[in-house]
Amino acid sequence: MRNALMLVVLVACGGTPTPTGTVCPDPDPGTLTYENFGKPFMENYCTWCHAVDIPRSQRNGAPIYHDFDTLRGVLEVPDHIEQQAGIGPDASNDFMPPDRCPTVAGGKANTSCAQPTDEERRQLAEWIACERDRPHTF
Amino acid sequence: MRVPIWIAAVVSLGPVAPGDARAEHDHGGGHHHATGTPSSFGAGIGLVAARYDTEIFVGDYQGVLPSVMWMRGRFGVAANVGLYRLTENGARRYGLSDVVLSGQVTLVEHDGTLVGLALPVSLPTGDHATGFGMGHMMVMPAVWASGSVRRVQVGGSAGYARAIGGETDHDHGSWPLVDPMNLQELTWTASVYVPLSRELHAGVRMSGGVPIGSGRQRVTGGVRAIWTARAVETAFEIQAGFAGDPFILRGLVESAVHF
Repeated sequence: MRNALMLVVLVACGGTPTPTGTVCPDPDPGTLTYENFGKPFMENYCTWCHAVDIPRSQRNGAPIYHDFDTLRGVLEVPDHIEQQAGIGPDASNDFMPPDRCPTVAGGKANTSCAQPTDEERRQLAEWIACERDRPHTF
Repeated sequence: MRVPIWIAAVVSLGPVAPGDARAEHDHGGGHHHATGTPSSFGAGIGLVAARYDTEIFVGDYQGVLPSVMWMRGRFGVAANVGLYRLTENGARRYGLSDVVLSGQVTLVEHDGTLVGLALPVSLPTGDHATGFGMGHMMVMPAVWASGSVRRVQVGGSAGYARAIGGETDHDHGSWPLVDPMNLQELTWTASVYVPLSRELHAGVRMSGGVPIGSGRQRVTGGVRAIWTARAVETAFEIQAGFAGDPFILRGLVESAVHF
């Protein structure tokens, strides 16, 4: 009985995606941009599954409308990205990328996913915090 | 023809196996007990298969749904869980659903009519991120009733479900994939069964949830046949999701034994 209760508690206490509490420095230093950070980050770790041209049955679980092959797509769900993969003062989220990834976009998840470093995860949170408040034309 | 007490229970609350009870968010075990009878123990197993298509996920799932229940006098407790194989947007996953514990009491038993209260509580044992669990506790108190009109058994329930903590986890609307519900909602069930023979009953059952605040209204309905042989009750059901995208079509086979 005690073991069963422990199991329930352990399962129930699994981590959950949490806002990192990262804020963009004021004034925005502009050092992390979509071109020099966001786009390569997404291409390295995300767009194997999170791309608009990958059909539903080949997304390896990636939700529809969570497509990160454009800046606009990223800014549709910035909170989700930060809470899945960002590190900041309030939380360290490493729910994404998952353990298994495809070797080609839209393929079967047949290899270990490349994982961002903690520094890259901190930069991700900071870039999102800054980029979401920058002016955009779309 | 006298209707077995657990048939009355099914009429009022739904099946005795867990998945559906959790699925409809009615009341955990759902098996009631004549207040004047001695204690009894029950165990059930169910199989479920469904196809779903929500706003952001499409796929199917299959599950095994064990349950246990114990009744004494007017009081009862039940526990159930689901073990699922879930396909979502091309990814195949295996996992445990949220465990549901339920207490219930029969307040009125008069001339075949039963009225009672139930208090199911779900524990966040299912993985929230992959669609197996809510990510937080839910409490789902409800009042239920069942009775007969001539040979027709009718039943229903009305309740309230609310998340305890984790309010920020519901930004995808109804969740999880295997048994979606809203962060806060009013729940309801209604059912009608007719006896086709001494052992066989058949009928229709509807259930749903009306969100309080943000969320999506959910309505499901199905046709259900219940075959009772001594202490064993077996049910077959085909359900459809009419609103809120809980699933497109779902099939259930459930069997339970009562000692």
